[in-house]
Amino acid sequence: MKDVSVTYSSGVDALEHIHLKINDGDFAFVVGASGAGKSTLIRLLLKEIDATSGVITVNGYQLNTLKKKQIPELRRTIGIVFQDFRLISTMTVYENIAFVMRVIDSPVKLIRKRVPYVMSLVGLQDKANAYPNELSGGEMQRVAIARALVNDPKLIIADEPTGNIDPELSYEIVELLRTINMQGTTVLMVTHDHELVKRFGGRIINITGGQVVYDDIMEGTADEI
Amino acid sequence: MKFSSIRYLTEQGIENIWKNRMMAFASFCVLLVSLLLIGGSILAYENINSVVGGVEEQNEIIVYMEDGTPEEKLKQTETLISAIPNVGQVQFRSKDEEYLSLKERMGEYDVLFDALGDDNPLIDSFRVKVQDISQMNKTISQIQQLENVMQINAPYEFVSFLIQLRVLLTWVMGTLIAAMIIVSVVIISNTTRTSVYARREEIHIMKYVGATDAFIHVPFFIEGMVTGFLAGCGALVITWLVYTTVVDIIQNQVVVMNIIGIGSIIPFHQIYFPTVFAYLFGGALVGAIGSAFSTRKYINV
Repeated sequence: MKDVSVTYSSGVDALEHIHLKINDGDFAFVVGASGAGKSTLIRLLLKEIDATSGVITVNGYQLNTLKKKQIPELRRTIGIVFQDFRLISTMTVYENIAFVMRVIDSPVKLIRKRVPYVMSLVGLQDKANAYPNELSGGEMQRVAIARALVNDPKLIIADEPTGNIDPELSYEIVELLRTINMQGTTVLMVTHDHELVKRFGGRIINITGGQVVYDDIMEGTADEI
Repeated sequence: MKFSSIRYLTEQGIENIWKNRMMAFASFCVLLVSLLLIGGSILAYENINSVVGGVEEQNEIIVYMEDGTPEEKLKQTETLISAIPNVGQVQFRSKDEEYLSLKERMGEYDVLFDALGDDNPLIDSFRVKVQDISQMNKTISQIQQLENVMQINAPYEFVSFLIQLRVLLTWVMGTLIAAMIIVSVVIISNTTRTSVYARREEIHIMKYVGATDAFIHVPFFIEGMVTGFLAGCGALVITWLVYTTVVDIIQNQVVVMNIIGIGSIIPFHQIYFPTVFAYLFGGALVGAIGSAFSTRKYINV
């Protein structure tokens, strides 16, 4: 991101002159208070909104010049995990994950091989036929992570993935994301849970008032333990 | 898009009907009622039109020829009348035939005919049926210009009444059908919108994971099309049952049949194919388009 600003039609400056570079293989926490501009940042990266000014490049796609019909292509290189899981309630765990591979026209054989593998990675191999309403919050978030992971994206964006689950389960989710990161996937995790950030450490990007006020590496307390 | 994906999306569309059965049932009912209202109105219009057409056909113009017109001239006149575009059927009635027929019909008044002796007071005539009664006046004036035509008798007032009735009928039924279509489109569009609204989250998720617009549209399109097709089937069965029953009842009413004319009511087998096509194709089309339009709103994420 080079000198990126976003001003909404209401006149609100959501982001101001942001310069940000996330390297391949990074694991970064994006922190900040509500309304600081974190969500706007995610929406920009997903090309849900356009920047008012500046240049954004995501996974090799120049978003400023990206055509509407190329947006699905961009999004297929990104895995997204939401705070509220956003699973399709009428689909089983298996179907929710397989569906993402269907979207990119993956061969059925590959889907049958890859989905069980990803489910085992997140520890849900026994829940293949369960529906989202039969799962706990932590399990639902694991399904969401499996769904984000299944197409082997370059980047996973996790938007407050621990917001709706217990602290103990939150650690498990972050651990899971870090394991995924260690295998080479870049992970950008948005959170306002300072305890979690302190515990795990790593690259911290603090957005306040639409500006990056801190961007550095911090050691986590979990490492000390 | 690969064939396997098209198959998958089609299966998804059909599965979604069951998974969202409450909304699918609501759409089905709305489509069924709408199709019945529109189909019923059109069938009623066609039948009323056919009855009016039947009454129209019973009207004829009588062309009286000058007394003593030679046979050759009569044949020539018949050919000329038949050549007039609006003329459907021409039947020559010689004065002798008419006289015999009159005598038969008025058998009890023998005395009158005896008084006439061998004199036949009648004249040769043509019974002319016109194809379009609204063009009757023009046809009459064309016949009047022919040689040896003495007088023309036509049911002017009745024809004028029939023309007005047809215009009125076209307007009333046309307005009714148009109103039915508008009401149906509004209800169908609202129902499908509600159905799609309930699944907007699903559409958003699809968009976030990189689904193309076509990938999102197809299952909804199939779902709407199948629901519409099933509603068309339902409407067809109901129409067939009600229509045949009503036709049976009417046809058993001798007095009514005498007034409207035998054959004026269109039997179902005569309209079977257009009705089947209109219901099934119409239902599928409306269902598919309704879903496609309603999905569009939630697709721009």
